[in-house]
Amino acid sequence: MRTIFLLIFISTVLGAGAWLLFLWAVRSGQYDDTEGPKHRMLDDGPEDGRGGDKESPD
Amino acid sequence: MPTCAHCLLEIPAGSAIDEDEGGREIQFCCPGCRGIYMLLRSEGLDDFYRRRTGWIPGPPEGYVPDADGLADSVIARDGWHEATLAISGIRCASCSWVIERYLGGRKGVTSARVNYATGRAKICWNPEAAGIADVARWISQLGYAPYPAESLATEANLNREKRDLLVRFGTAAFLSMQVMTFSTGLYAGYFQGIESKYESAFKAIAFALTTPVIFYAGFPFLRNAMAGLRNRVVGMDALVFLGSFSAYAYSAAMLVTGGDVYFDTAGMIVTLILLGRYLEAAARSRASESLTRLVRLAPRQANRIRGDGCSTPRTETVPVSLLVPGDRVEVVPGERIPADGHVIEGTSEADESLLTGEAAPVRKIAGCVVYAGTINGLGRLVVEISKTGNDTALACIVRAVEEAQARKAPIQNAADRVVGAFVPAVIAISLLALAARLLWGESPASALLASVSVLVVACPCALGLATPLAVFVGSAAARASGILIKGGDVLEAGASVTEVFIDKTGTLTEGSPKLADVIGFGETPERVLVLAASLETSSEHPVARAIRGGTKGADLAPVKEFRAHPGMGVEGVVEGRRLLLGRDEFMAGSGIPVSDRQRESFRELSEERKTAVFLAYGERIIGLLSVVDTLRKDAAAAVGILKEGGFRVRLLTGDSGPVASRIANEAGIDSVVSRVTPAQKAEIVRAARSEGARVLMVGDGVNDAPSLVEADVGMAMGRGTDIAIESAGAVLTGGDLLLVPRFLAMSRKTMRIIRQNLAWAFSYNIVAIPLAVTGHLHPILAAGLMSVSSLVVVGNSLRLKKGGIGP
Repeated sequence: MRTIFLLIFISTVLGAGAWLLFLWAVRSGQYDDTEGPKHRMLDDGPEDGRGGDKESPD
Repeated sequence: MPTCAHCLLEIPAGSAIDEDEGGREIQFCCPGCRGIYMLLRSEGLDDFYRRRTGWIPGPPEGYVPDADGLADSVIARDGWHEATLAISGIRCASCSWVIERYLGGRKGVTSARVNYATGRAKICWNPEAAGIADVARWISQLGYAPYPAESLATEANLNREKRDLLVRFGTAAFLSMQVMTFSTGLYAGYFQGIESKYESAFKAIAFALTTPVIFYAGFPFLRNAMAGLRNRVVGMDALVFLGSFSAYAYSAAMLVTGGDVYFDTAGMIVTLILLGRYLEAAARSRASESLTRLVRLAPRQANRIRGDGCSTPRTETVPVSLLVPGDRVEVVPGERIPADGHVIEGTSEADESLLTGEAAPVRKIAGCVVYAGTINGLGRLVVEISKTGNDTALACIVRAVEEAQARKAPIQNAADRVVGAFVPAVIAISLLALAARLLWGESPASALLASVSVLVVACPCALGLATPLAVFVGSAAARASGILIKGGDVLEAGASVTEVFIDKTGTLTEGSPKLADVIGFGETPERVLVLAASLETSSEHPVARAIRGGTKGADLAPVKEFRAHPGMGVEGVVEGRRLLLGRDEFMAGSGIPVSDRQRESFRELSEERKTAVFLAYGERIIGLLSVVDTLRKDAAAAVGILKEGGFRVRLLTGDSGPVASRIANEAGIDSVVSRVTPAQKAEIVRAARSEGARVLMVGDGVNDAPSLVEADVGMAMGRGTDIAIESAGAVLTGGDLLLVPRFLAMSRKTMRIIRQNLAWAFSYNIVAIPLAVTGHLHPILAAGLMSVSSLVVVGNSLRLKKGGIGP
């Protein structure tokens, strides 16, 4: 009987945390570019690109 | 024909720059491309050539880094400088990759981040090691052009609006989900019983959670409803606020008296409608971002000649806004003419297609009038300014566009039209229910409850999604196929189009001339062409490009002593003999006799409005070549599809009758209006509209801009002029004419989906309102119907994406 109120309390705290995280995400611009990161993810770090196999750019 | 390793353009034979790369031969079209290639390689960035996709071949546009203009974008931070720049030319993910990597490796640059979606770069650097001028130079070295990011204020507003809506939607969605949890508990309790202390606790929690949804997340609706009230307009916002607030207030009252609560309904209405608004804002800001990148903000500078007449004249670079009539400016080859005026020195040709739509350059000698915005050809000109700023011919057209834009009433949204009739009806029903129950002798309290419950269930939350979601999905699908749509109203107007007007130069035709005829006089045409192409190897004149393009990779002869006579022709020495290419006056001026037969051929070609040039070898004319602006290869197919679809297609052009008819015949258009000025074009569109036609205008030039605005839907070519792109409601980014019928099909399909969505959204109310009036509305039924109608709307809208674009 008291458990239900405890659970409500916990869910409220967790929910408030999620909401604050969302506010932070919007403010810090996480939603501004939803296209770029998925391409950037595939980029390797700066590397020495000289030599090796090069496809002809045509 | 070999292609350039950097820009992928075809290299005219004989002019390739060979480079040995680890045993493999690669070629470049010009030293610039070679320079960029070497630069990338020396930085270890040649990975770029492997990962580039969607590359549109073409040399970077003429751009002069304007460090002064960019200096305003620099923000001085603690120990470093930071700037956000809009970068034009970013077309694919590898563009942003190469800029980031290259800038990141420069001395002094601490970080460089390019936002691929918006084409913005944020760059931080150490002010002691570098400056904004260096940054601008580095970016332009790569072939991209940096501009101040704050150039378009509307875009900043759109982004702020989008972010604000996202926060409100996120908050509302989050809280509504919590409310749902407790409402589900209450619904379960409705069937299997619930202890009253839990019931009242759940209701109280739901109340606490809904309050911020109504008053914080739903604040825009409250604000707009109030504004509407003052202007006596009942719109969508008023309905949303009325619905959500009455559900909220009614439930709050039930909290006290004990009864069913509708907090979940109140919260869901606000949430779903905010989602619709967010999607709408996202679609619009995305379209405007893509447009910003299409619009090439030309550097607004001029070279003013300072001199008192006796000392050597010197030029200084000044902003165009500082020019006054009487000033003399120097216009170097390839530069835009900064203001209207007349030539006092020099000979050149000007590309006036911006104003006239005519692709062939116009010859300019001393005394000729030149216009602001037109592009100088190969010669240097000194121009005395006669009109500046708002008085120039260009400004007049821009003003005509603005006037037309102001005159054109915004079309009313389909949903708003329905709501306009629906809201008063709902209010009337609710009042009727109240009156009827009072007459029946019920208590005022229960009568009031029944009338409020009508208001509550009448607010269709699916309605908030019906239009924006369909528009969002529809314009995303259109964007994927190369059509940028500026707003939902464009799709709506596109659905009712009956006539399609097409501009000729640059829209129906390529806009750049192609080789048409080669006639030999005592020589084979092949020989004439090879000699002409050899001579034109190093010229960038449109005619030269056309002739070179016609050789199909034949071996060219080396040319010595090349000289260009702007507006007349070119000469050079090939195989020891003098070779001349030019107009008939040029031949006469060089002392070369032109026979009657040759003159007759020249006249015949000129009558077909082909640009013809003679080729003389030694002292004798050996050939005649002509170039002509050709039809886009997909033009006839596109016109065919349009005509099959029952649209009336008309050609509008400033050209003379015979040329226009020839092009129209080739494209299969039977209605031609030729020799029209930009104002007349707009007038024709207006006349057609007043006769009841719905007009789609397709154009690309400044001269089309007034008619693009005047039409129900204006559609610009992606390579068109800035003003055309800004005036149009839709832009064909790739310039593929087949997208015109595609766009029309797309808009009709979107409108059909919107109508279905609205019908669904309202069918819920048609069922629910009578139940509410009679006081029999079960809360479960209300909630269930509400979710179902929203889901139907979502699913139906997504069909736009999946089903492709059928007719």
